[in-house]
Amino acid sequence: MFPSQFDYYRPSSLQEAIGLLGANPDAKVLAGGHSLLPAMKLRLTMPGALVDLSHIPELRGINVNGGVTIGAMTTYDEIEVSAELQQRVPMLAEAAAVVGDPHVRARGTIGGSLAHSDPAADLTAVFLALGGEVTAVGSNGERIIGADDLFVDLLTTSLQPDEVITQIKIPLTGRTAMAYEKQEHPASGYAIVGVAAVLTLRDGDHCESARLAVTGCTSKATRLTAAEDALSGQSLNEETITRAAQAASEGLEVNGDLYASEEYRRHLVTVITGRTLRRATGAITR
Amino acid sequence: MRGTIGASLPRPDAFGKVTGETRYPADLVRPGMLHLKVVFAGRPHARILGIDTAAALRQPGVVAVLTAADVPYNAHGLIEDDQPVLCAVGEKVRFAGDKVALVAAESREAAAAGASLVVVTYEDLPAATDPRAALAADAPLVHDRHGSNQLLHLPIRKGTIERGFAEADIVLDGTFSTSWQEHAFLQPEAGIAEVDEQGRLVVETAGQWLHEDRRQIAKILGLPEERVIVRYAAIGGAFGGREDLSIQHLLALAAWTLRRPVALIWSREESIVAHHKRHPMEIRCRWGATYDGRITAVEAEVIADGGAYASTSAEVVKVATLFASGCYEVPHIAADGYAVYTNNVPSGAFRGFGAPQAQFAAEVMVTRLAHTIGMDPVELRRRNIYREGSLEPTQQPLPPGVSALPVLERCVEEAQVHLGYGLAPQSLPATTSLVAESVEADQTATGSLTPRSARGAGNGRHSPSHLRRGVGIACGIKNVGYSFGYPEQSTATVELHGGGDIERAVVRVGAADVGQGSHLALRQIAAETLGVAPGTVEMVCDDSAEAPDAGSASASRMTLMGGRAVRDAAIEALAKWRDTDDLHVEATVQYRPPATTPLAAGTGASQPNYCYGYAAQAVEVEVSLLTGQVQVLRIISVHDVGRAINHQQVEGQIEGCLAQALGYALLEHFQVRDGRVLTPYLSTYLLPTALDMPTEIVPVILELSDPNGPYGARGVAEMPLVPLTPAIAAAIHDATGVWLTQQPMTPERILTALNVGTALEKGSSNEITTTIDTKSTVTAHASK
Ligand SMILES: Cc1cc2nc3c(=O)[nH]c(=O)nc-3n(C[C@H](O)[C@H](O)[C@H](O)COP(=O)(O)OP(=O)(O)OC[C@H]3O[C@@H](n4cnc5c(N)ncnc54)[C@H](O)[C@@H]3O)c2cc1C
Repeated sequence: MFPSQFDYYRPSSLQEAIGLLGANPDAKVLAGGHSLLPAMKLRLTMPGALVDLSHIPELRGINVNGGVTIGAMTTYDEIEVSAELQQRVPMLAEAAAVVGDPHVRARGTIGGSLAHSDPAADLTAVFLALGGEVTAVGSNGERIIGADDLFVDLLTTSLQPDEVITQIKIPLTGRTAMAYEKQEHPASGYAIVGVAAVLTLRDGDHCESARLAVTGCTSKATRLTAAEDALSGQSLNEETITRAAQAASEGLEVNGDLYASEEYRRHLVTVITGRTLRRATGAITR
Repeated sequence: MRGTIGASLPRPDAFGKVTGETRYPADLVRPGMLHLKVVFAGRPHARILGIDTAAALRQPGVVAVLTAADVPYNAHGLIEDDQPVLCAVGEKVRFAGDKVALVAAESREAAAAGASLVVVTYEDLPAATDPRAALAADAPLVHDRHGSNQLLHLPIRKGTIERGFAEADIVLDGTFSTSWQEHAFLQPEAGIAEVDEQGRLVVETAGQWLHEDRRQIAKILGLPEERVIVRYAAIGGAFGGREDLSIQHLLALAAWTLRRPVALIWSREESIVAHHKRHPMEIRCRWGATYDGRITAVEAEVIADGGAYASTSAEVVKVATLFASGCYEVPHIAADGYAVYTNNVPSGAFRGFGAPQAQFAAEVMVTRLAHTIGMDPVELRRRNIYREGSLEPTQQPLPPGVSALPVLERCVEEAQVHLGYGLAPQSLPATTSLVAESVEADQTATGSLTPRSARGAGNGRHSPSHLRRGVGIACGIKNVGYSFGYPEQSTATVELHGGGDIERAVVRVGAADVGQGSHLALRQIAAETLGVAPGTVEMVCDDSAEAPDAGSASASRMTLMGGRAVRDAAIEALAKWRDTDDLHVEATVQYRPPATTPLAAGTGASQPNYCYGYAAQAVEVEVSLLTGQVQVLRIISVHDVGRAINHQQVEGQIEGCLAQALGYALLEHFQVRDGRVLTPYLSTYLLPTALDMPTEIVPVILELSDPNGPYGARGVAEMPLVPLTPAIAAAIHDATGVWLTQQPMTPERILTALNVGTALEKGSSNEITTTIDTKSTVTAHASK
């Protein structure tokens, strides 16, 4: 299928991009195109213009230095192979490695993934569990949006139409254990259920605080607060993990689809949460 | 040339296919052709009140909008002419993929734009979408003239069913359901058509039977058949999905009416929505057996959703009903098959043609019977399986060449070697608590090896992991060729040219190479018979005007039927060659196999088939008790092919078919709601990929001659699809203790069955002996 007619712009600076977005109210930002172009071909979205960010150098790159800063146009591939990320935020590199297929990972970007807020995306849950923040720049200037405020609903974020995510920041806190696990859709690789967990540790296996987020079964990436509560202040062992896994889907609004029902997905939230926590804690050296 | 038979000669078409040089129908489109676009009904059941083409005709580039008024004879079908080419005003659309108008335009874009401007007004009608409900007296009628939605009711009776159950020590009931399957050939429907300088209508596309396409097209247009030429470009898979007309007649209609070359290419979505599927079936059955392992009675009811048009439903249901008792000689049988019209997508031919559905039920029932009487499932099969002279449900002896038992025995041997089958003491399968996450903690890795000695014996109980392995075995039978009194034939011409030696041989045989390699197999048969090198033989197969009618490339028949016609024509040509000094001789032979007979009314008594293919498979699976996911680890697939004409091609057929079979068993969940297809994309209709296939596939080829086949060959193309679903079901049962009775066996269905199984286990102090399916009940009782 063919998309409807659109104009195409390829600015070489962020300022130019913001200007183009301001001048073309029905324009959309084009990043890797792996969510946007399929939607355009199905005519689910018909932007009058595309503003391609691929030629803006300042939007690319990974910087680990106190915290982690990742340019919005950094691809999954680049995240996956980054030695610094593998060491400092291993979950992010691991999650990038299980997105879709090699084609998708070569084109898709972290900024595109977060801006799209696909209900089954991987990095949304990872970002949420990591408690990151994005820098958004628009005609009204720059602002910071925290992870808990970015995802509003299905394919909806708190970004304004003329705002561009320029970078993603991940805090690096003391001793943590983290993991991301998903059961993937056999055709696309998208998460049927994916769970990301970041556990902040103290004194061996004592869990000071926990951030868990789920994707694939909710309208947007969502914190698993009941599981977090079950872990915070506890020592991490099979019993607390099982309790947290069982609590995980409490109060969660789970959606079903043709491939897997609500009931099945709810069950998977427990299974995958348990799997995530076991892998995260398995790496803790006591 | 001697030694040609069996040789794994490389495929002449392989190079072009991997380099992209080969021309498939969509590659034939030339500049200047008109592009066609179909206006589909998009609703399951409605009366057409009006079709307004004015706006479409105003669209720049649109040349014409054809409707029913342009069709000389507006009905077609392989068996019954009950399908309109284009649905007429005042008439009904009967499924969402029904065609209402055909837009012709100077470009694809203009055709698409024009199609979106055709305004059709409908009066929606209540739809019949559930086959059982459609049989009720007050159900909406799909074909008003037919008077009911029952397209066929076939009773088959053998012996006295009451006696059969009276003789049984145990009786088991089962209910099984299967869904549609989409052929998903690589190349969606496409083609071109034009009127040539001699005023003949030439249609170039992909199909399975040149002369049948020609017959239907000529009839629709009111033309003598010679006036129509059907040619096949390279065919990108068929699997039965190109048996019914899809676009061939639309191309013909437009080219003939408009006198301009035309092209039509369907998208995957159009292909999925519009062409027929494998029949969904519901099978309710009851099997009886004695403690010493005699199957005494089979009672079965098979209800098949035929969809909106007759297609080949009647024949498919006859095959399914015939195989309701599998490949076992059962003295007392009462089987009733129903083909039902509904407002769903039509069902028709698909690799296996009713056999996979019927034998999913039959094979699971045999294994359950064995478990119930405490006998090895293989041993129960051995005692009842078809042998030379066994009486079919239709009360006649099987056609000679019955190899079901040797095929099974070989499968068991291979399963012992590769799967450790039967080497450990059989213990009862175990079920475990479902959300036993702690077990996952002990899991080392997916694919962790269980000791070989324990495999195939419900070994899960001893494993700390949530991954359970199991082994399952099943048999299968499928007819080769057309059945039930059909005037089966295949015709070939062999021409020999040369002085003293045969310098050139031309084989004319209208046999479609749908990708299975029939052209090479037929060439090898000709070369062997003529004693020439295969390169000396030229094949003319793809033009209805240049090659005689070999019949359909379906029912696993082309190697046997087309091959036999080629061999007989070659023998005759050779005899003429030896008798003459002419530089050119020619012989045409029509081969007709031993006659079959129609099923007698009331009992089904008949000689249904002239040849069968026999198969047996053993599989090993790994099931996740936590997610219901199944990985098939190994498949052994044993087939008697009579004679492998090209060994490599036979292996290719087995391996390729196993992929389609595995998809059918586990993944391919075609979903329809209220007559609308919910899975029209390959992103929602899941096909197996290389990653779903086991790393170990052992194709085993037996060569126990068929009395009629060329060099003893019989068919193989469909057989691997028959036993795989029940073999996997048995393996899942071996691993987990639960039976799946719905195809496909998706993770969610498996998990649901496991949950029910766990609940049952907790609620009962008895050990689970046989079944825990949601739908079937165990009625083990001692008779008398
Ligand atoms: C076959 C297939 C399989 C896939 N499987 C997975 C999977 O397993 N897991 C997964 O997570 N994803 C998967 N995806 C989606 C893929 O990851 C996308 O690349 C991603 O969701 C969007 O990133 P993108 O760079 O391609 O963005 P685009 O498609 O270019 O843009 C997506 C949306 O975000 C907006 N946007 C993009 N960048 C910015 C920015 N910097 N600031 C503001 N707005 C912006 C665009 O305007 C658009 O609305 C799959 C996609 C395909 C085609």
